Amino acid sequence: MDPFESIKATFFQECDELLTDMESGLLAMEAGDDDSETINAVFRAVHSVKGGAGAFGLDELIRFAHIFETVLDEMRSDRLHLTDEVAKVLLRASDVLADHVAAARSGGSVDEGRTLGMIADLQGLIDQERAAELGLDGDGSDDGADEDFGFVPIVLSLDEPAADAPEVDVAALMAAATAPAGAPPQATTAAPAWLVTFRPKAEMYAKANETGLVLRELARLGDVEVVVDTAAVPPLDQLSAEQAYLSWTIRLRGEATESDVREVFEFVEDDCELIICRDGEPEAASAETPTVDDPESDAPASAVEAAAAAPLDLEALLARVQGEPAPEAAPPPAAMPQPVPEPAQAAPKADPANMDVAGLIALAEQASLDHVQAAAPPAKTEPKPDPKADARAERTAAAAGATAATPTIRVDLDRVDRLINAVGELVIQQAMLSQRVFESGLARSSDVALGLEDLELLTREIQDSVMAIRAQPVKSVFQRMPRLVREVADMVGKKVRLVMDGENTEVDKTVIERLSDPITHMLRNAIDHGLETPEEREAGGKAIEGTVRLAALHRGGRIVIEVQDDGRGINRPRVRGIAVAKGLIAEDAVLSDDEIDNLIFLPGFSTADVVSDISGRGVGMDVVKRSIQALGGRISITSEPSKGSKFSMSLPLTLAVLDGMVVSAAEQTLVAPLSNIVESLTPRAEDVHLVGGRDAVIRIRDTFVPLIDVGMALGFRDEPLPPASGVAVLVESEGGGKAALLVEAIQGQRQVVIKSLEANYQHIHGVAAATILGDGRVALILDVDALVTTSRRKAPRIEKRMAV
Amino acid sequence: MSETDTNVAEVSLCPVLDLQAAEPLRAELMALRGRPLQVDASQVSRLGGLCLQVLLSARMSWAEDGLPLRIEQASEGFLEQLAAFGAPQIDFEPEGASL
Repeated sequence: MDPFESIKATFFQECDELLTDMESGLLAMEAGDDDSETINAVFRAVHSVKGGAGAFGLDELIRFAHIFETVLDEMRSDRLHLTDEVAKVLLRASDVLADHVAAARSGGSVDEGRTLGMIADLQGLIDQERAAELGLDGDGSDDGADEDFGFVPIVLSLDEPAADAPEVDVAALMAAATAPAGAPPQATTAAPAWLVTFRPKAEMYAKANETGLVLRELARLGDVEVVVDTAAVPPLDQLSAEQAYLSWTIRLRGEATESDVREVFEFVEDDCELIICRDGEPEAASAETPTVDDPESDAPASAVEAAAAAPLDLEALLARVQGEPAPEAAPPPAAMPQPVPEPAQAAPKADPANMDVAGLIALAEQASLDHVQAAAPPAKTEPKPDPKADARAERTAAAAGATAATPTIRVDLDRVDRLINAVGELVIQQAMLSQRVFESGLARSSDVALGLEDLELLTREIQDSVMAIRAQPVKSVFQRMPRLVREVADMVGKKVRLVMDGENTEVDKTVIERLSDPITHMLRNAIDHGLETPEEREAGGKAIEGTVRLAALHRGGRIVIEVQDDGRGINRPRVRGIAVAKGLIAEDAVLSDDEIDNLIFLPGFSTADVVSDISGRGVGMDVVKRSIQALGGRISITSEPSKGSKFSMSLPLTLAVLDGMVVSAAEQTLVAPLSNIVESLTPRAEDVHLVGGRDAVIRIRDTFVPLIDVGMALGFRDEPLPPASGVAVLVESEGGGKAALLVEAIQGQRQVVIKSLEANYQHIHGVAAATILGDGRVALILDVDALVTTSRRKAPRIEKRMAV
Repeated sequence: MSETDTNVAEVSLCPVLDLQAAEPLRAELMALRGRPLQVDASQVSRLGGLCLQVLLSARMSWAEDGLPLRIEQASEGFLEQLAAFGAPQIDFEPEGASL
């Protein structure tokens, strides 16, 4: 990929995170949190988006972010107070900002009308005079100063070929000091100006920051004159391509404040030397320059001092020191009374081993400059009590606190996947090894067997840790939902409050990616079908605003996602009527409330009389159910008329490993997920009854549950297994339905690595996936839920047949 | 300066002169030292600080050798970005010399 594109991609990745932070901050604000830290966090997020956008010249985005940011700034400074109305506008503005980011990413464009409307709304929050004062009516940045450069400095001494390299370099060094002095004296004009001395370090380039972008950004603030100092650039044969040799002096004229200027350097300030001072303001300037009394003698002296440590060509140094006073005393273009360590600006940090004299001198100057700069900070802040400086310090401190909390790295997901795959293979291999050892007849207490046990524990731990790498909080999915809810609610004209719970519940990344669609669908369904209109709610004595609760929690080694509304609940007679009308059930079928509720998951079922835009496109909940089942998950519904309904879907935490019970049926080895298993028992012949002469049920204590002969259900054999000769495993499906699986024997409990059957073969009903066992054979993993529901669904069909 | 009579060397700059282009560019130019140089900047869409250094360093070396170095057909982007960098001089024309 083009490196520039990859930087851009990183920016958009960061944007995602920033937008997420922003939204959670705004949601907190909507809930009434007007803490300055929250507002600051939102401001920072918007500001960082704007800053990054500036580097890539995304003008539309910058313009909108600027207005947004200004409004937030008003809040930060307590000129604008948080109200419900304000929070709602800000939330909608965040949606528009997200649209802008998305448009910038895909190269599309944003609905101009919506943007303008939003800008008007934002402006509406601030009173007009103030808005004009802040320049909110125009565009935020002042472009077009790029081409205004006064002069081109020419390093004269280089034009004369020289015999001796060190001398040339010394001359170059001198030229560096004199060149700025030769600049036209166009200093103090009417407009206030900033003088910025900017010297990037190699690290800055290494981090893919680019001087050009910084300069371009600076040019947005006003008229700029850029002077590049090329003196430190060595000849080609001594040049290290990734060192930084150039430095720039930029005079910026315009209304920009110091913090505006500093903002430009925000992303690079740690990796460059930066001096910002008022042009032609001796006091401010002197605060930035050496605080020594006699710079003419002192600065060179410190250079000598520092240089003395290094083995140095003394002559060259002497030449340097002798030449020093004149250029040092010559005022640089800023017309500053105090000398600026100009030549040092471009000193390379080269390896002393292969450095020439000039390099050493530069190093010496570097040392003196460092010395100077070390002394500078205290002087820097005191003379200019800038209220914004405090705010900035606060901000950086807060940012530092945030980053210090959780140091993270970005890793390509592919690498993690490879690792997980390898660990999966390791687990299989380890199981195979154990089995070999066991088969070889070694005693269980032998050293080898004991060692293997340790190995197993270790393997397990590695596996858990690896899985934890990929585990992520469901937050990333949940955070997209508030916007969805706002939009859907607007569309159907209902008032909805979304309450989210358990956003930090962690689940494997592969699962997270696929959670979004079902959740989206369930939320839409809850708002469109579940909640009543405000009028209906009022009539029913409920709060006008409906509540939809989205929650995630861990339960029994699975993640459960619940979508609950406080709406009208499922209209059972109607659901039943529709099911009968569509021929999904027999007219006289006897169904429990729970069974009626679950009818909405049947394919082709839709209760919406009118097909709406939002849900009820005729695909309905059966699609949700299928997509969840494809993940090894289940969905169920509970509902209470006029109180609301609750959808819960439960998914495995990972799609990579599973704790299972290894069983055999019809000479096949199968794995039943342990999470489904309640208990196992040996059936007695007298407990098994046949219903309708065909379907077996087994009595377990005081209840009857269907007895499913696994060998037959999966088509391994045609003759039923005599119940007494097998083992019944009592399983529970997610919907709470129980069944007993009849198998021939239980082999044991084992953790298995899931290999997708869909990816390698195709979906088979009743089989969730496959695994490779210790002996190298493939074993199928049972889809217990499918087996149980199949047995259940058979019931209506039989009734139908009997009714005919 | 023994090779002054050799043919003019030509280098075509790649479109994106960023961090990663700097070292290859330096090596390429180094190999051509001692010959008059024409640098074709027509393809350049992005000029970074590091490559600018390489070009300036090349200018210095060529000046040392007394050989001309010319930027030819500079693209708009190249000129614009060069200007943003303070428009340092890259071309070098020794007095009385001709290609």
